[in-house]
Amino acid sequence: MTTLATDVARMAEPDAGVSDDRPELRKSVAGTGLLVRFVLRRDRIRLLLWFAGIVGLVVVTAASIAGLYKTPEQLASYARTVRGNSALIVQAGPGYGLDNPTTGAVMMNELSVWTILAISLLSVFMMIRHTRAQEESEQAELIRAAPVGRHAPLAAALVATAIADLVVAAGCAATLIFYGLSATGSIAFGSSVFGAGLVFAGVAAVAAQAASGSRAALGLGSAVIGAAYVVRAIGDVGNGVLSWFSPIGWAQSIRAFADERWWVLVLPLFATATLVSIAVALQGRRDFGAGLTAQRPGAAAAGPRLSSPLGLAIRLQRASVVGWTVGLGLIAFFYGIVADQAESILEDNPEMKDFFAQLGQGSITDAFLSMSVLVMALMATGFTISSVLRLRAEEMAGRTDALLATPVERRRLGLSHLAVAIGGTVAIMTICGLLLGAGFALVSADAGQVVRMAVAAVVMVPAMLVFAGLAFALYGFSPRWSPIVWAAFVWALVAGMLASVLNLPDRVLDLSPFQHVPALPADSMAWPPVVALLAVAAALMALGLWALDRRDMS
Amino acid sequence: MLADWEGTTKGSVMSTTVNVAPAISISGLVKTFGSTRALDGLDLEVAVGEVHGFLGPNGAGKTVTIRVLLGLLRTDGGTARLLGGDPWVDAVELHRRIAYVPGDVNLWPNLSGGETIDLLARLRGGVDQRKRDDLVERLALDPRKKCRAYSKGNRQKVALIAGLASDAELLLLDEPTSGLDPLMESVFQDCILEATREGRTVLLSSHILAEVEKLCDRVTIIRQGRAVQSGTLDDLRSLTRTNITAATDRPIVGLDGLDGVHNVRFDEGHVHFDVDGAALDGAIRHLSSFGIHSLVSQPPTLEELFLRHYGDELAAMNGAERGVT
Repeated sequence: MTTLATDVARMAEPDAGVSDDRPELRKSVAGTGLLVRFVLRRDRIRLLLWFAGIVGLVVVTAASIAGLYKTPEQLASYARTVRGNSALIVQAGPGYGLDNPTTGAVMMNELSVWTILAISLLSVFMMIRHTRAQEESEQAELIRAAPVGRHAPLAAALVATAIADLVVAAGCAATLIFYGLSATGSIAFGSSVFGAGLVFAGVAAVAAQAASGSRAALGLGSAVIGAAYVVRAIGDVGNGVLSWFSPIGWAQSIRAFADERWWVLVLPLFATATLVSIAVALQGRRDFGAGLTAQRPGAAAAGPRLSSPLGLAIRLQRASVVGWTVGLGLIAFFYGIVADQAESILEDNPEMKDFFAQLGQGSITDAFLSMSVLVMALMATGFTISSVLRLRAEEMAGRTDALLATPVERRRLGLSHLAVAIGGTVAIMTICGLLLGAGFALVSADAGQVVRMAVAAVVMVPAMLVFAGLAFALYGFSPRWSPIVWAAFVWALVAGMLASVLNLPDRVLDLSPFQHVPALPADSMAWPPVVALLAVAAALMALGLWALDRRDMS
Repeated sequence: MLADWEGTTKGSVMSTTVNVAPAISISGLVKTFGSTRALDGLDLEVAVGEVHGFLGPNGAGKTVTIRVLLGLLRTDGGTARLLGGDPWVDAVELHRRIAYVPGDVNLWPNLSGGETIDLLARLRGGVDQRKRDDLVERLALDPRKKCRAYSKGNRQKVALIAGLASDAELLLLDEPTSGLDPLMESVFQDCILEATREGRTVLLSSHILAEVEKLCDRVTIIRQGRAVQSGTLDDLRSLTRTNITAATDRPIVGLDGLDGVHNVRFDEGHVHFDVDGAALDGAIRHLSSFGIHSLVSQPPTLEELFLRHYGDELAAMNGAERGVT
């Protein structure tokens, strides 16, 4: 099995292994080197964004932790409150090294699980994109028809994903070293991240063979990530045995910055080799373009709802609305459960306290809840924007022409996806608010919190709609340039989360719509800014409609 | 069958062109994208009831023209009229009366073929269930498959069924058969013939010349955004060169010097040359003075018409090849 792994690694070099005694295997991966370059080239922008996203997360966390926990007392107070808190352990991990807390240990507790999840997603997305998704495109047959071995696309996807994982992991380690953390711990963290990336590349390689199509393979791969997260959460709050059955658990068990256990790295390497050889065996047993499980057929005729642009937009975005609601809803529920601990976490940390105090006049618990609502709103704005930009994706994919060739006005088509974006945003925020309230109601034994938090969450919607309006206006003028709206979103993230760390002037912060929403429940309700934000959003949408009616469709 | 069809359609053209505005009327149309002129003074006229072939290589401007007619693109000059209306201003009303089949069919990956057909038909105003089911069966489409899983040919069938099952007066077909196999291609041709019998008008953009030759009453050849030739196939043939192979009793002299005679080649006592329609009489007279004892004349195929406009060199090469074999 390990021989296989080395073979897979060697595939990148076309001239390596000349004296290989398994010529049929070598033949089956012919052309891999070329394909690896092709994959990396196709994904260069995508990978750059992944790199910026994951390493950016590390940079931001490192900067804010360095700012918030300066003295040993602050570190100790952090450790005291976190260590016994099962809700936080479920979320972040066992918190190795917090019995004698260093900045590195705090950093790992805050950062490692998210970084590991992010690189796992990177691996799964990239692998499926270049294996099953590739097979469903037209180029795949061109590639297969060229003198390229049967396993070459899989091998190339694996090698390219491993390279991407390695670069990202190295970036994470280098960031920590740059922020003055020990090189040993930083490298251990980087290795754990890389190891997790490899395992999930292997998982995706198997999923790509087993699933009925690329979407199903993506779902399967993501489900394994989710399962790995849950298994380690249960293990971490319990006796720890279960955590050894999760690749995410392995990654944390390396114990970066807490007396590293390097031998644990053997586990991801061994698992990857096993998964890859399973994938290779499965690939030999299935037809090109078909999975081991059969594709479920669709309906032979359209249901009654699929008869208008709005019906189509709902159908196209349904899964995404549900996914965002479930994902953010779970996070909201977690925030609700830990809210009553906010006071004690912050007791010994005046700077954190200041940070929350600036949010409003209420209690620290209310300030924490306001902060939670803001975090959810910021994350959900990701849905709002991508939902509006679905219009762009549809147009770029050439699917808009067929609709506009029927008696459907452009504005009706534009408004259909805009309506889904608005409706989805309201639904996600309402449910997140209810779940945040439900979580908090559980620990505070106060059922009134449910509605109170739902109201706080819905009050965020007008600020989010400003982003919907901005995305729509940009789309109205030019689908090509409409992703600029993401820059505004990043700005809102920075202003919302890091304002105190970065010490930005108010005038600059005020550019973010979220600065103007009343931060319920810590603040009291104020209608003028809410109405003003709604007016801005409506004006931007009207501008988008005006422009959409006047431009060429691309 | 072909003769029968020609009879009926020609008849319908005659009876309708007298007092009805053309289905499509484009003159001097200009469309630029940045510095490239995709359409550069295009003229195109399609009469009601006819099947009009729209020929040109990739990038000549066929798709741009159709997208202008669909009101998807603004024009930079010239006029375009569709069924008596303005394709940009009256887009929505006009779209009730037309059906469009794109060449590059992009469908929603998670909708099944059947759902896509129904959706597009409903947006246009309703499904003719009998026609839809009939077409699904004739084109042998599995409507339960997700569009993601369809091959190019099958995606094209989905678009064709959605277009043909409608009761549109005008069909805009942009290379509709480029992914179909020969069997399905012939089903498609039958469908178009049926459509014309129902009195519908068809603009068929294509570079499958055999298909155009079989289906179209008139053709327009477009090159670099400009119509270079337009008319019935007979008109076009008379405008172009006929290929002559002859053998004479005495060696021929002076043929090269005649106006309208091209590509003169001699081999094993035969002479091969191409001659313009207008110069045919003079060339044959010249030949007969050397005592013709065998004469083969081949009318130009649509292919040659096409090639003539897309590089005389290529046409010459083609001629030379035929000369040898």
